[in-house]
Amino acid sequence: MSSSGTIGEADLHALVDGELDAERRRKVEDHLLTHPKDAALVEGWRRQNAALRAAFEPVALEMLPLSLKDAAVRTAGPQQGPIETGAIHWGRPGASRPSLRLDEIRASRRRQAAISTLLTLLAGAAVAGLAALVVVGRNDAPHAPITMAPTQSYAGRAGLAYATYVSDARPVEIDISRRGELVAWLDERVGFSRPPDLAALGLRLIGGRVTPGVAAPAGLLIYERADGARVALYFERAETTAAPSAPRAGRDVSAIEWRAGGFAFVLIGPLPQEDMQAAAERAATAIAATEGEKR
Amino acid sequence: MGKKAEILEGLSAAAPALRRYSRALCAGAGHALSDELVQSALQSIGARIRAKELRPADLQEARIEAYAALTAMAAKRLVEAQRPASRHPPIVHGLAELSFDDRAALLLASLEGLGYDTAARVVGAPRETLLARLMRARAALGAVGLPPADAETGARRAASHLRIVK
Repeated sequence: MSSSGTIGEADLHALVDGELDAERRRKVEDHLLTHPKDAALVEGWRRQNAALRAAFEPVALEMLPLSLKDAAVRTAGPQQGPIETGAIHWGRPGASRPSLRLDEIRASRRRQAAISTLLTLLAGAAVAGLAALVVVGRNDAPHAPITMAPTQSYAGRAGLAYATYVSDARPVEIDISRRGELVAWLDERVGFSRPPDLAALGLRLIGGRVTPGVAAPAGLLIYERADGARVALYFERAETTAAPSAPRAGRDVSAIEWRAGGFAFVLIGPLPQEDMQAAAERAATAIAATEGEKR
Repeated sequence: MGKKAEILEGLSAAAPALRRYSRALCAGAGHALSDELVQSALQSIGARIRAKELRPADLQEARIEAYAALTAMAAKRLVEAQRPASRHPPIVHGLAELSFDDRAALLLASLEGLGYDTAARVVGAPRETLLARLMRARAALGAVGLPPADAETGARRAASHLRIVK
C-alpha cells in the first residue's frame, strides 16, 4: 500500500475492513466517486459482511451451553496427559532415571490438578458469595434496582426470546400459512393479535409463538428478509410500574422498545440501526392504525 | 497468579465470539461439531497457560491463541464435514463452497473484525497471504442476491416514542 496516487484492490479491501488511516481512506473514497466499478465491488463486500453478521451474530447472543461455560478454567478431559492409573509397572526398576522423571511429571500434574481444584472451589465460593450478596441486598433494600436481572425488562425478555427462537430450525410455533389460528391464539393468550405488515421493508412475517414474558405470557412474531436475516417483534401487556432497563444484547443486534395501547413492544434484530428504526416506525404506525380501527 | 487467573477468566468471556466464529467456519456442518471445537480450543489453551507452556502477555494474546487453536482444529475436523442444509441462508452455502483457508481469512477479517495483522497471526501466515486469501474469498462469494448493507438513506424523522434501548 504505497502512498502514491494509484489505488489497488488491496486498498478497497482495506477500506471495507477499516484498515486505512484517515488520510488514505479519504483518498480511496474519492477514488470510488469516480470509479463506479470499484464502488460496486466495495458495496458488494459490505453486503457480504452484513449477510455474515445477520447469519451468525445471533450465535454470539445465545446462552452458552454448559460445556462452554468456563471451558478455559476447567481441566481438559482425561484423554490429555499421561495416564495415572497407579498400576504397578513390573518391568521397570524402582529408581531409574526415566521413572524419576515420570514421577516428577506426575507430581507436577497433581500440583496442577490441585491448583485447578482450588480455582474451581474459589470460583464456586465467589458465585455463592455473590448470590448471597444479591439476596441480602434484596432484603435490605427491596426497592434497590437489581442490575443483575436483565431478563426483568421487556427488552431483556425480547433479547432472550430472540436468541432462543430466531436461529432455531423451527423458529415459530404457528407459521403464517395458518394465520387465523395464530391470531386467535395470540389474542387469547397475550391479548394482542394484529401483526403489523412490514413487507414494504422487505420483512415477511413467517409466523409467531407465545413466549414467557416479564409478568404475563408474551407474543413473539418473527419476520424474515430475503437474505435470511430475522427480526422479531415482542409484545406483552405492559405494567404501569415497569421500568425497563438496558437489555442483554450483543454487538450489532439492536432492540427498539415502545408502548402502545397498554402493551410493551420490542423489535429486535441484526439489521443496521436505520433499518431497525424504519421497521419499528412502520410497526408502530401499523399497530396504532389498527388500534384506531378497533375503537 | 493474579494475572494468569485474569487471563483465564477473560478467555471464558471470549467464548461467545469464538462460538460465532466456529459456527461460521463450520458453515452448516452442525452445531455440535462447532461447539465441540470451541470447547477443545478453550480447554487446550487454558491447560497450556496453566502448565506455563504458554505465557500470553495479555488477554488479547490469549484470545489470538484461542482463535488459532480453534482454526487449526477445525482445519482437521472439517475435511469430511457435511454440507449445509437447504434451510440455511445463501451466505452459508457460499461459505461452504470456499476453501478452508479462504473461509477462515474472510471470517477473521470481516465477521470477527480482528484486523489484518492479528488475523494473519491467527492463521499463522504472512499478511500478504492472508490478504490474498481474503480477496479470493470475497471474489468467490459474490454479492448476487444479498440485500444492500446500508439502509436506504432518506430523511427519516425518528419518532420520539420509539426508544432505542441498545
